[in-house]
Amino acid sequence: MTQNLDLTDIQGNIIKAYGAYNYQKARYLFLRIDKGDKGRKFVGAITTKVTSAVPWEKSSKDTDSAVKPQATTNIAFTFAGLKALELPMASLRGFPEDFIMGMAKRKDILGDDGPSDPQNWDNIWKEEVHAWISINGQSIDAVIKRYDWVLEQIKASDGGVTLLTGHRGENGEDDLPYQDASVLYDATGTPTPKEHFGYTDGIGDPVFEGQINVSARVLGRGKLTREGNWEPLATGEFLLGHVDEAMEYPQTAPAPWLLALNGTYMVYRKLHENIGTFNRFLEEQSKHFPGSKEMLAAKFAGRWRDNGAPIVNAPDDESKERWDKQYAEADEAGRKKMLTDFTYNQDITGAKCPYSAHIRRINPRGSLEYGVKDAYDTPGALVNRRRILRRGLPYGEVKDATRDDGNHGIIFMALNVDIQRQFEFIQQQWINYANDFKEGNDKEVLLGNHDANNPGKVVLQVEPGSGKPPHFVSKIPRLVETRGGDYFFIPSITALKLIAAGMVDPT
Amino acid sequence: MATKSGNATALTVLSPIKNGTMGETSYADMTRERCLRLPIHEKSPLSKVPNTYLARLFILDDVFYESLPANDAVFNFSDIWSFFSDSARKKSLPRRDHLKSKYLVFSSNFYGDLDDYLTGLWDKWSYTDHDGNQRDIRYIWEHCVAFDRVTDCAGFIQYIKRCQLDASLFFNGSTDDSLQEQLKALYLKQEFTKFAVAHQGKSAIEIQQAFKAFIARVQPDNLSSPSWFPGQSTP
Amino acid sequence: MSNIAGKAYAMNVITPIRWYMVWINRLIFKIALNRPSTLKGLITLSLIHYARWVIIPRNAFPRLDENQPKEDLNYAYMLFFSNFNGSWDQYVDSFTFAIPAGLDLFWKWNVRYPKSVPLTPFHDYIRHNQIDTAHYYNAYPMAASNDVKSAKKVKKALIDFNAVSSDKAPDDFLKDYNKLLNDLQLQLGEMKPTPIVSLSSYEVKKRYEQTQTH
Repeated sequence: MTQNLDLTDIQGNIIKAYGAYNYQKARYLFLRIDKGDKGRKFVGAITTKVTSAVPWEKSSKDTDSAVKPQATTNIAFTFAGLKALELPMASLRGFPEDFIMGMAKRKDILGDDGPSDPQNWDNIWKEEVHAWISINGQSIDAVIKRYDWVLEQIKASDGGVTLLTGHRGENGEDDLPYQDASVLYDATGTPTPKEHFGYTDGIGDPVFEGQINVSARVLGRGKLTREGNWEPLATGEFLLGHVDEAMEYPQTAPAPWLLALNGTYMVYRKLHENIGTFNRFLEEQSKHFPGSKEMLAAKFAGRWRDNGAPIVNAPDDESKERWDKQYAEADEAGRKKMLTDFTYNQDITGAKCPYSAHIRRINPRGSLEYGVKDAYDTPGALVNRRRILRRGLPYGEVKDATRDDGNHGIIFMALNVDIQRQFEFIQQQWINYANDFKEGNDKEVLLGNHDANNPGKVVLQVEPGSGKPPHFVSKIPRLVETRGGDYFFIPSITALKLIAAGMVDPT
Repeated sequence: MATKSGNATALTVLSPIKNGTMGETSYADMTRERCLRLPIHEKSPLSKVPNTYLARLFILDDVFYESLPANDAVFNFSDIWSFFSDSARKKSLPRRDHLKSKYLVFSSNFYGDLDDYLTGLWDKWSYTDHDGNQRDIRYIWEHCVAFDRVTDCAGFIQYIKRCQLDASLFFNGSTDDSLQEQLKALYLKQEFTKFAVAHQGKSAIEIQQAFKAFIARVQPDNLSSPSWFPGQSTP
Repeated sequence: MSNIAGKAYAMNVITPIRWYMVWINRLIFKIALNRPSTLKGLITLSLIHYARWVIIPRNAFPRLDENQPKEDLNYAYMLFFSNFNGSWDQYVDSFTFAIPAGLDLFWKWNVRYPKSVPLTPFHDYIRHNQIDTAHYYNAYPMAASNDVKSAKKVKKALIDFNAVSSDKAPDDFLKDYNKLLNDLQLQLGEMKPTPIVSLSSYEVKKRYEQTQTH
């Protein structure tokens, strides 16, 4: 039985990665709610402009769709924020422990230590954050226009809410009232899907039941069946109030039903990228690596930097050339398939895509069965409940590629119904640890919380039986540092209206 | 017997604790506190007991009443009878069981023969408790039924065997080597990994010389040293 | 002190089983022992050091003295002991995702067992019948079961290599050495202390360590 989602009720950022719809600029605001009644009124005002997940029209005759706006707006709350909005205790106590604690207090689970420790975060995170508002725009002007509108609403709240300051900025500021983000542009000014390390980002987001055009997108992005096909994941992995992969409604939903239905949880993380260190590290390591520098960079991520080619299908410089040729000749659908439709079934030993590669760690597809056919209920049994929707954009500018201390990184947002089971599990068990990959404590290269005093290594596997030694990448420095973030609840539009009206009633 | 898997042995011991109290504290609670306050990892007295892979102690206070709803019935006649007879409905509820004694449960996974292991437990178990007193194995079992009759190692072995239960299925997801063998292997794995990383890309002669020095240092055939020590919790 | 010792978690679960069903369970365990394919999923998961199932018939609780009251029980009891790697949630989740049928096979005959899917009733059942460990000892807190198994391979390969190749001419030595590394390429993960899988257990350990140093 296929499921139709109520797209008018779901906030648009859950379903759409705005960056893929030509929204090149974004601005994130964080607020404190000082007075319950005025705060609720403010939420009501913002709700009038909250962007839903309704498809944008292709032609004006298309009556089921909406006009694509110049700017979008979405809103979400921390636990403290929901408390400040005076949700009933019977609703509040139904939220899960991870969300109640918030991200800073989960630092030991997440490995946010050393330079990533909350005490080193942007100043804004030293305050209690209550609400998050995001504006995505097709131009910076559209973003600013919507931002000014939000400022008017804040003013009109008459002391009900405060816009928090304390973001680090481009020119050494540490007190900005917003976090800006933007796609990166190439030399000709054309927008690219890249992040600051040069990797192509945002390729294989999960596909779940109820999304539009599933059959065209599900290859390599849904769940792998025993027969080797791809099916969409259960809706309840990403939206509360829907059945999940364990054949039940997510247990992380607060009462009443309407508060939870079509909502989800968001992990917001500001991740600073140490550009200088990364470039030096890659340069240094590639001197000893039997392959090109780009091939080594691809081994870290599991994809080639230039076009995102999965290394499992283009494992060395030579095969990459062939892959590129085929890619150039493929049509739009063929290209998408080449980027996402693959497994590690022919690469059980990691000779092509190493176990430590970013994309193999965050989504091992069927490979945790280790080639033992029928060992598990389904090949993706250990993976299907560990998926996250990834949203977000790069921020800042690399002005000096030899330095770490500029303002550059990624605003990373992960959406899931169970932060502990999905996002935190990936971060802890698959990024910062590797027992599931039988690699002890070897951390993933790019995102791992590598310890400067006791730096780690990874093994880049080679063809077994070839007599060649595997390649060790050692003395891995901390390449990415957490600069702030928290856990948010993204309510449905119905729930927003209930919250705004003070009508949340779990009786 | 299913209690063995190769050379690995599963020991399950349920020792009844005397009913009654000393002052206002029951014997069971005193026993529990002694277990809870045992030092951990390399300081645990079990680290001194030869060939202990993994072991635990806890108190079984009672069994649980199955109050959670679930459909467990295989032959589900009572469910149907329940429609017609209220007494049948009541009878189909789970029964309430209670234990008349509390039990000290000791569950150990170890290498080798049971008698050897229990001898080690009797001889080697020792630690300094939080009040600074030196304690042997009798301190844990002190309040168990009939333990006061245990006076020597043979008596201890006999006592434990009376409390022992067989496993219907013992699953060994690891190895059945001696603990020294396991620890030496872990040590070698760790050291060799470091060696391999440090000597990547060096010349044949350099690696060969370094390897010989490495072997001389780590002594792969010498199980006692150098090695990890039992319960070692940091590198 | 805790259910956790380094990378291992000690689980104890006691569940009632109708006394006349005990033979079925015993039979299933016997089949599992003799047919390795029954345990294929468990072996591939590779999260367990050692685990056991113990069935205590109604009249088989140890009685050591005339003065010890005799147990009078309606049910037999099944005790399950596991030494696994990861947190409670991670372990129970992994097991229900990967081998739901196997779990049902072993527990099916227990009173009010809810089946392993959907997950929450199964979670609740295990939690309901779980007893916390008072003292847990692990001989290798930094090693997962995967590490113990791979260490065995490393040790053997190293000793064999040393015997055969260490005195060869340098170029032949290097060839053999590279082959050794190739053979061991999936066994060379570094072992460090466990990541913190439970904040409450971590807090308990921190407090414990404070009392030790004072």
